[in-house]
Amino acid sequence: MSVMLQTPSRASTGSTTSFHPLSRQNTMSSYEGSRSTRQSKRYSMSALYMSMSANDSDLIIEDELARAQKVLRDLKTKISSQSKKNFVLEKDVRYLDSRIALLIQNRMALEEQNEVASHLEDATDIQEGAFPNDDKTQKYGNLLFLLQSEPRHIAHLCRLVTMAEIDSLLQTVMFTIYGNQYESREEHLLLTMFQSVLTYQFDNTPEYSSLLRANTPVSRMMTTYTRRGPGQSFLKSVLADRINSLIELKDLDLEINPLKVYERMIEEAEAKDPESPEAMLPKGITQEEAAENPKVQEIINPRLTMLTEIANGFLETIIDGLEETPYGIRWICKQIRSLTKRKYPDANDQIICTLIGSFFFLRFINPAIVTPKSYMLIDGTPADKPRKTLTYVAKMLQNLANKPSYAKEPYMAKLQPFIHANKDKVNRFMLELCEVQDFYETLEMDNYVALSKKDLQLDITLNEIYAMHGLLEKHAGELYKDENSHLAIIMSELGTAPPQVPRKENRVINLPLFSRWETAIDDLTAALDITQEEVFFMEAKSIFVQILRTIPANSSVARRPLRLERIADAAATSKNDAVMVRKGIRAMELLSQLQELKVVDKSDQFSLLRDEVEQELQHLGSLKEVVMSETIKLEEVYKTIRDHNAYLVSQLDTYKSYLHNVRSQSEGKTRKQQKQQVLGPYKFTHQQLEKEGVIQKSNVPDNRRANIYFNFTSPLPGTFVISLHYKGRNRGLLELDLKLDDLLEMQKDNQDELDLEYVQFNVPKVLALLNKRFARKKGW
Amino acid sequence: MMRTYGFQPCREFHIVVLGTGGVGKSCLTAQFVHNEWIESYDPTIEDSYRTQVAVDGRQVILEILDTAGTEQFVAMRDLYMKAGQGFLLVFSITSQASLDELATLREEIIRIKDDENIPIVMVGNKADLLDQRAVDRAKAFTISQQWNAPYYEASARTRTNVDEVFIDLCRQMLRRDDSGQLDDDDGARNGSGYGYGQGKQEDGHGPMKKKRRRKRKGDHKCIIM
Repeated sequence: MSVMLQTPSRASTGSTTSFHPLSRQNTMSSYEGSRSTRQSKRYSMSALYMSMSANDSDLIIEDELARAQKVLRDLKTKISSQSKKNFVLEKDVRYLDSRIALLIQNRMALEEQNEVASHLEDATDIQEGAFPNDDKTQKYGNLLFLLQSEPRHIAHLCRLVTMAEIDSLLQTVMFTIYGNQYESREEHLLLTMFQSVLTYQFDNTPEYSSLLRANTPVSRMMTTYTRRGPGQSFLKSVLADRINSLIELKDLDLEINPLKVYERMIEEAEAKDPESPEAMLPKGITQEEAAENPKVQEIINPRLTMLTEIANGFLETIIDGLEETPYGIRWICKQIRSLTKRKYPDANDQIICTLIGSFFFLRFINPAIVTPKSYMLIDGTPADKPRKTLTYVAKMLQNLANKPSYAKEPYMAKLQPFIHANKDKVNRFMLELCEVQDFYETLEMDNYVALSKKDLQLDITLNEIYAMHGLLEKHAGELYKDENSHLAIIMSELGTAPPQVPRKENRVINLPLFSRWETAIDDLTAALDITQEEVFFMEAKSIFVQILRTIPANSSVARRPLRLERIADAAATSKNDAVMVRKGIRAMELLSQLQELKVVDKSDQFSLLRDEVEQELQHLGSLKEVVMSETIKLEEVYKTIRDHNAYLVSQLDTYKSYLHNVRSQSEGKTRKQQKQQVLGPYKFTHQQLEKEGVIQKSNVPDNRRANIYFNFTSPLPGTFVISLHYKGRNRGLLELDLKLDDLLEMQKDNQDELDLEYVQFNVPKVLALLNKRFARKKGW
Repeated sequence: MMRTYGFQPCREFHIVVLGTGGVGKSCLTAQFVHNEWIESYDPTIEDSYRTQVAVDGRQVILEILDTAGTEQFVAMRDLYMKAGQGFLLVFSITSQASLDELATLREEIIRIKDDENIPIVMVGNKADLLDQRAVDRAKAFTISQQWNAPYYEASARTRTNVDEVFIDLCRQMLRRDDSGQLDDDDGARNGSGYGYGQGKQEDGHGPMKKKRRRKRKGDHKCIIM
């Protein structure tokens, strides 16, 4: 199913257009057989008319499709803005992760503590604001329009900035300037930027063996790009189930390194019976010797079979997901292919596939398999054994894409049958990934459409604008040497870049974008090499579709076969609807003009036009279903990223509390501690905690669970006592003193289990609970 | 051929090879362990090697973890760093950016190990590609001095200084081991092997535990081939 991944409708999200290009499926072959340039221009033209008339906002179509589209559009906007928020939050949490670690180790000076604290306090939502004057708003609106619509400037900038500067630049580019992740114009402009940077890299890498290997602006762009909505939801739909079912098998050991197997075998034997022959085996043998041991082979052989089965399963879903692969990802694969062919004319398919694999598998699929938690595919960190299995799976997949050298790990050669069996299939798959259409022909048009709609705007923060301004200024010598270029003119008018403002003064600005160098829509027909007849034809089609979508489907006018004259007439004479009347009159005019130009023929009921209108309507009908199922999918995506957001926020809260606690303790030495109030006890039943996931394992027999309860008390900030009670008994069965430090440290070390003898708590969940329950006014 | 060891169990050390993509981490490691030059384009996700070497007449078992240089695998780094006792920081002398990235890696190691004197060797690989040199030897050496780590220029292709970098790292680890510098958490785990990511229990440094700091005596050197 290609629903959510096909390129989105071209008309901008701001309009209620109904146009949905038929042939924009990303499965279209890029070879012959696709539509001609001219035809694509007609489609674009049609989109233009649709969007223009819709933009008049005096004709708002209110059918089910329009409503469904609106829901979908809102959802997409939410996903775009939420994923930006998460990206920013993640950065904060990462920063604090490292700081808190130092703090836990008591290695942070007081000033630094204060600095971290201020960082935390600022990590709230940025308020909205505006530039002090219209002039600035206008000039920055011009600048951002130029940057957005001419991606070459940013592409060039990406090559000039240092690796230290690139992260914040990319954040602005991917989540703000082209932040509307489901809008084709922005997506296509972003991809154009990719292409320019990729081309540069191909041109400047001497040998292909080092291509796409280093961490460069391109690779950083790829990482950030895969973090956008479409990439995330693809990974989730293709990998999440397989990974989750695998990590449930915590004890499934699929180690095939003979040395490790050998050692573990001895260890286990020693534990069981130190006198057994296995326990007496010599230690410290070589890998080859271990591999020859028949017992080791006996253990490894079935594991090889299982690994192969598991990897086959992953491969199958990935290959089946061809049509679901985001357009942008596939298009990048296509660029890699064509750049490789251009630079190395002798390159065979194998080399091309190797390079595609170094993007698709190495940078997109495999990182998600190996570290699924950081891709929001699973909640917890996988246990050691599943983690190892996932690593093997990723290695096997990577070996399919590249030429594996068993010089590294000779025992991997045992998995050669998997490689042989799938190599051709995977190469075919990777070449098929490249079979997507280009968008250049429509991009120009998209830009015109965007121009014609006066509602282009960007939500961007002051600091993002100033940072961008500063970077452009810094590289002025390279970016705009020609002082008559548009960029140079705008930059000289803007003057010197203002410094970054403190976080709490940062504001989100709703910046209207527009060009100072307007292109008149009327010039389009000439520029596009489209005849007047075609323009009339498109407009007529568009108007009839609009009329038909507005009138009730069961009215006599809408009966089939469509009688266009009658429909125009009905619209023109409709009561109390001036817009309809206007549309009707225009439709009649167009019909007669087309008749005069001999494009359509009244005697055959304008069948040429009628059939196209009918086709469009049918397409819109199926479009509704497409829109609905896309909505369902995206709702799930939205939920995932919201959950992730909640996790990030709670993580920040925990850090905040901890820090307050540390600081109040160090203050407490000099000042009397302010009200040392004991909080709690709060009582929780076994059932409650189990439901919330705090209890992850319980040894309490089912029939006794109802009698078990827990008390949580906080005698001091940052200190907690958890006690376990049995109904009817005075004394608790067990009492545990906990320091927040310890919990944080356990979390940091990925130790998720907190053992209470009878039950096992989940550390992150305990933290969340304490956080919620014991939040003192200022921290804990 | 069966090797047996005397009463004294062999020391076992965990080495982690880090550096950005394409600098030749795997080539160095495979040359060292298997005496083989890898020609093919084969990006690493995670490879582990085990080998035994003699260092100043003492047998040492090395468990070497060769890591992914691809930045997308960054989430795995923490785990590696926790498990490692000695680190090879590799860059390519043909790329300034690859050297720049080492600073972040080093900071992360020191943060995670909570130890500024953790054994590190800095390696400028691809020294045979003289015509493509982009990093000044003196500049790299200055950085290595600031880090208090020895610097080698090596070539996995010509097998130059390959053994030397690993042996130097072993010496550093042995020296710490001898002088009792290793805390339990990263102490020599003799005999039985363990997988990376295991042995977490020993890893916790209590909040109050202060690591002893030690100035390494002036053994900075720039090894020129």
